[in-house]
Amino acid sequence: MIEIHHLYKQFENDAYVLEDINLMIDRGEFVFIVGSSGAGKSTLLRLLLREILPTRGMIKVFGRDLARLRKREVPYLRRNIGMVFQDFRLLEDRNVFENVAFSLRVIGVSTREINKRVPLALELVGLKGKALRNPGELSGGEQQRVCVARAVVNRPAVVLADEPTGNLDPDTSMEIMKLFQDINIRGTTVVVATHAKELVDHFQKRVVVLGKNRVVSDRERGVYLHAH
Amino acid sequence: MHIRSLFYFLGEAFKNIARNGWMSVASVGVVSITLLILGSFVVLSFNVDLATHDLKEQVQIVLYINERAGEDTRAELHAKLVAHPGLAEVRYVSRADAMARLKEKLGDRSNLLEGYEEPEDNPLRDSYELRTAIPEEIPAVAKEIKSYPGAAEVDYGSGVVEPLFQFTGLVRWIGLAFMAGLAVTTVFLIAHTIRLTVYLRRKEIMIMKYVGATDWFIRWPFLFEGLILGMIGAVIPVFIIFYGYQEAALWMQNNIYFVSLLPPEKIIEVIARILIPLGVALGIIGSTISVRRFLKV
Ligand SMILES: Nc1ncnc2c1ncn2[C@@H]1O[C@H](COP(=O)(O)OP(=O)(O)OP(=O)(O)O)[C@@H](O)[C@H]1O
Ligand SMILES: [Mg+2]
Repeated sequence: MIEIHHLYKQFENDAYVLEDINLMIDRGEFVFIVGSSGAGKSTLLRLLLREILPTRGMIKVFGRDLARLRKREVPYLRRNIGMVFQDFRLLEDRNVFENVAFSLRVIGVSTREINKRVPLALELVGLKGKALRNPGELSGGEQQRVCVARAVVNRPAVVLADEPTGNLDPDTSMEIMKLFQDINIRGTTVVVATHAKELVDHFQKRVVVLGKNRVVSDRERGVYLHAH
Repeated sequence: MHIRSLFYFLGEAFKNIARNGWMSVASVGVVSITLLILGSFVVLSFNVDLATHDLKEQVQIVLYINERAGEDTRAELHAKLVAHPGLAEVRYVSRADAMARLKEKLGDRSNLLEGYEEPEDNPLRDSYELRTAIPEEIPAVAKEIKSYPGAAEVDYGSGVVEPLFQFTGLVRWIGLAFMAGLAVTTVFLIAHTIRLTVYLRRKEIMIMKYVGATDWFIRWPFLFEGLILGMIGAVIPVFIIFYGYQEAALWMQNNIYFVSLLPPEKIIEVIARILIPLGVALGIIGSTISVRRFLKV
């Protein structure tokens, strides 16, 4: 589902941010990507979304070589990838329902379909009763749940999360991580970039450690590991 | 484009216009002023054209044929006049015809012509009466044909024609220059308004890109915003001109009887056909500039 071979990424003429990355992620996997700040975790996720292009090497998502993907094909790639951010990125001027519906509306889904799918997504993340609230009235954990609902409402094959618990307290972080686990159990591939050591250790999933811009460790049922 | 998407784009465009408040009002205002001036100008020039039409029609070139010109020269002259691309009408008037016309014109007083009527006494010359396809070309054509073989003299009421054409020409050029300046201002202001919208909506645009909205889906609301601003800006002057003209025409009818004006119903149609497409075009140009420069999709 995700194949990365000898991937290099360099911004302008700076030093390499990613060097010789090799990584395979299969359908249905749950993968933590860990590494110290500046290791290139966010850069790797942006490459998967084709926000940026690799300098060298190959990166394939759903069998498509992203470097060869035409510009007008990019939106259709992204419709199959749900993205969750550390800072939630919700629209403050509309309620929870509309925030989730937004991601369907802008890809041309009918209102009838939206009215069917959004409640299901909100139920999945445990926000059934808060559809008409505004994001400003929700706790951080609830806001992140809205963000997750928005990412999964179009039933993508993959969900990418960039430090989804970076702004949350430990208990709430644990709940959000369990939510990702639920989503994964339903068949969606989940890739989470994170610093949260306790969570990584707790969940016993595959852990890919980025250090000095390379993959220094990749183990099943791994634990958080410093690159030094 | 799907009909559902169309409604969505229009809805978003109207929301953006409402959000931008005074910037939208300013854009519509500038479009309106530009088109109001243009529209008034068109109305005025239509009526001036109507008034000067007869005058222009009457202006013709008269070419007098040299009395000593032989048959060959006359034939050559005729051929050259007929072949001239700028001339719409070439009419030969013999001296006998000219005399007959003069006689008719004088009517009761035709006895004045006694003694000049016999061919050998006729003081008039053979001539050509010529009309150009474009009245404004008269002076240039007159100058050119003066050098034709067999031409003795060319007359076209110079001194009247040139100032008239110069004046109408000048008014037209000043108007055009002024309008071009206003059009640039209009496009600039609309572009600026759309830029503001793009800025205010940057977060939504970012999310749209992440969830896989196509570039065109992101662009359309902004293009529609420009289009709507331009259209509203055009409809306002159409109404102002229509009612203003109606009032003016009524007043003229009651106070200056001899002036003939085009009827208001005719004017509105012409004005709407010019102003609305122009307003829409200005709006679309403005928003296209902004979308290209500021909407990085
Ligand atoms: N657009 C860019 N232009 C230049 N350098 C960049 C750009 N984006 C990221 N970098 C650099 O790439 C390196 C990796 O950044 P990245 O954000 O991927 O790290 P990270 O692992 O996500 O760190 P963190 O854990 O702090 O989020 C950093 O040194 C950063 O300065
Ligand atoms: Mg990061």
